[in-house]
Amino acid sequence: MKNAPTANTKEAVDMNGSNDNQTNLYVRGVGVSSGVGIGQAVVIERISTEICPKRIINPEEVPLEIARFEEAVKSAAERLKNIKSEIDAQHPLGDHLYILDTHILLLEDRMFFEGTKKAIASERQNAEWALSEILLQITSAFDTIEDEYLRERARDIHFVGERVLKNLMGVHSERKMHQLPPNSIIVAHDLSPADTAQIKRESVLGFAIDMGGRTSHTAIMARSLKMPAVTGLEKVSRVVQTGDTIIVDGSTGLVIANPDPETIYRYRERQEVYRKYHLSLLTFGKLPAVTRDGSRSVRISANIEFADEIDIAVSHGSEGIGLFRTEYLFLGRKDFPSEEEQFEAYRKVVRGNNPDPVTIRTLDVGGDKIAANLNVTGEANPALGLRAIRLCLHRRDIFRTQLRAILRAAAYGNCRLLIPMISCLTEIHNTKKFLQQVKDELAAEGAEFQQGLALGILVEVPSAVAIVDLLAKEVDFLSIGTNDLIQYALAIDRVNEHVNYLYDTLHPAILRLIRQITNAGVVSGVPVSMCGEMAGDPVNIPILLGLGINELSMHPLAIPMVKKLIRSISMDECVELTRGAFEMQEAGEIHRYLEAWINERFPGDFFLDESRSSS
Amino acid sequence: MTVEIESIEETLKVTNQLGLHARVATMMVQAMRNFASQVTLIKDGMEVDARSVLGLLLLAATPGSEILVRAHGPDSKAAIEEIGRLIRDEERTDS
Repeated sequence: MKNAPTANTKEAVDMNGSNDNQTNLYVRGVGVSSGVGIGQAVVIERISTEICPKRIINPEEVPLEIARFEEAVKSAAERLKNIKSEIDAQHPLGDHLYILDTHILLLEDRMFFEGTKKAIASERQNAEWALSEILLQITSAFDTIEDEYLRERARDIHFVGERVLKNLMGVHSERKMHQLPPNSIIVAHDLSPADTAQIKRESVLGFAIDMGGRTSHTAIMARSLKMPAVTGLEKVSRVVQTGDTIIVDGSTGLVIANPDPETIYRYRERQEVYRKYHLSLLTFGKLPAVTRDGSRSVRISANIEFADEIDIAVSHGSEGIGLFRTEYLFLGRKDFPSEEEQFEAYRKVVRGNNPDPVTIRTLDVGGDKIAANLNVTGEANPALGLRAIRLCLHRRDIFRTQLRAILRAAAYGNCRLLIPMISCLTEIHNTKKFLQQVKDELAAEGAEFQQGLALGILVEVPSAVAIVDLLAKEVDFLSIGTNDLIQYALAIDRVNEHVNYLYDTLHPAILRLIRQITNAGVVSGVPVSMCGEMAGDPVNIPILLGLGINELSMHPLAIPMVKKLIRSISMDECVELTRGAFEMQEAGEIHRYLEAWINERFPGDFFLDESRSSS
Repeated sequence: MTVEIESIEETLKVTNQLGLHARVATMMVQAMRNFASQVTLIKDGMEVDARSVLGLLLLAATPGSEILVRAHGPDSKAAIEEIGRLIRDEERTDS
């Protein structure tokens, strides 16, 4: 990385008090495509069509305005078709390019095309005005849609409308997306799919965008292009200038403008580590997670939410699904998913992983998150309210449908049932009783299902840990849900910025709770798995092995690195580190101890989160 | 002899993971070019033309929702079958 050539002028600007060129300017957004990009910002200027000329036209002008509008639409459609034809079929964006077809169809859409012409004729508005009114009508109709993905499509009609408006207003500054200098980081308020599609992949190293979330097309396309991207940065296109050196960390959602040489150096290292990993890790994914001395093997599985994620899980080396979340089937809709719909979804995952096990977690949300007709609103404290298994036992109709679907899907492979948020023995007794009742019903109907479906609980409430010896006798396996367990045990809301500094996976209290669970597992002879984020962070791995965890389930992308670490260490080392950690009194001390050990033992090999060690 | 024009309707369930999203809407409009029938989709009192991408998106047909499809024309049956295929199909999702 060369130093920015304008370093001197930058200092001058700084002295004038402008923060535009402040060194190490941090902007936080949402990381939507992982990886680190370091390059020169190319700020894509925002062509404002917000202020368009408005005037009432004479009746005789109407045909002329309509013709002008038709011409503008025609040339917009031609331009989109050209962009599409210039992109060859081998383009890495592949079939995401369908969105350009969507845009072409939007231009031809009656609501848009005829609607504008009608407004010109009846309201006597000039074409720009009529069009912007129609666009406003259409986009505000999208605003009322509850579903996030569909609501985001208002951006598409906005892009299309803007293209026509520009033609009408004679603004012909087509963004020169295909003529970018090498090592560009694209900085923009928003990018249309047409903009993204024209980008020459070789010259771009990342994206930093004001607008959008995970379902924006920029995010989707960046992931297809395997380029780091951060969206939702709100003002990055205003504070960064073309030519500024900029770092985009798509893994943490951080953008750093004008980094000082030390920061650049740190991120270069990070990038290097990241790149090396990508090359070497996939090989590790394929290998079993056995400690170096061969004395312990751990099943490494993936947490997934959609059936489509099986591919990525398998390619990263998962040996089954340790947590299949079922909430997506229930969210963002007014009714409940039918038994058939759930059955199809579960069977797909069970079949896709056979013979590896798939652990399906029953509905784990609060009543406020699903179907409006549940009437569970107004809870002062939803995290401690009617949710997860409590909700299921309260609404047996919903629970029955889900259990039937899981029992039937389980007949197609290796499946386990996981019950979230168990906090007392009565709940597990009631669950087992009801499960038996549902099985009897299925048997009476002559349905095909898995009679011996393994049953486990998610240990995530402190009271469940306190009685884990009793609970362990009731079930076939235990799974530790660390995200909630840590929040409940430490009384910290992780997303509350005032207290989240207290959230620490290696808090001595948490380690003791985990030890209590793994001990109960050994005594009762039931396997213990872990499916929270803690399971996917290398720094925790030696201790988790030392405590005797049998299965670790994590985000698919974390699998290769965790396998690599497990294969590099011996059980003796794990036991020794665990003993050492248990002698310490503070989370920070334990962190430093483990990180220092890993970094010393495997210099540069493991990608540890530096924001943590500096805190 | 007159050609019989059939008008039929059928209730279909959206089983696609993302619902009737942009890709399905686009494919539907393109597919409808091969049919002569007039096809409308109705949900929650909202009625849209199967040839309008905007209409289809604004229908906000999320997974699990039910849509009444009405077709009028010589190939109405085939048109409804095609619509059914598109909203049932296990589409790859955008992620």
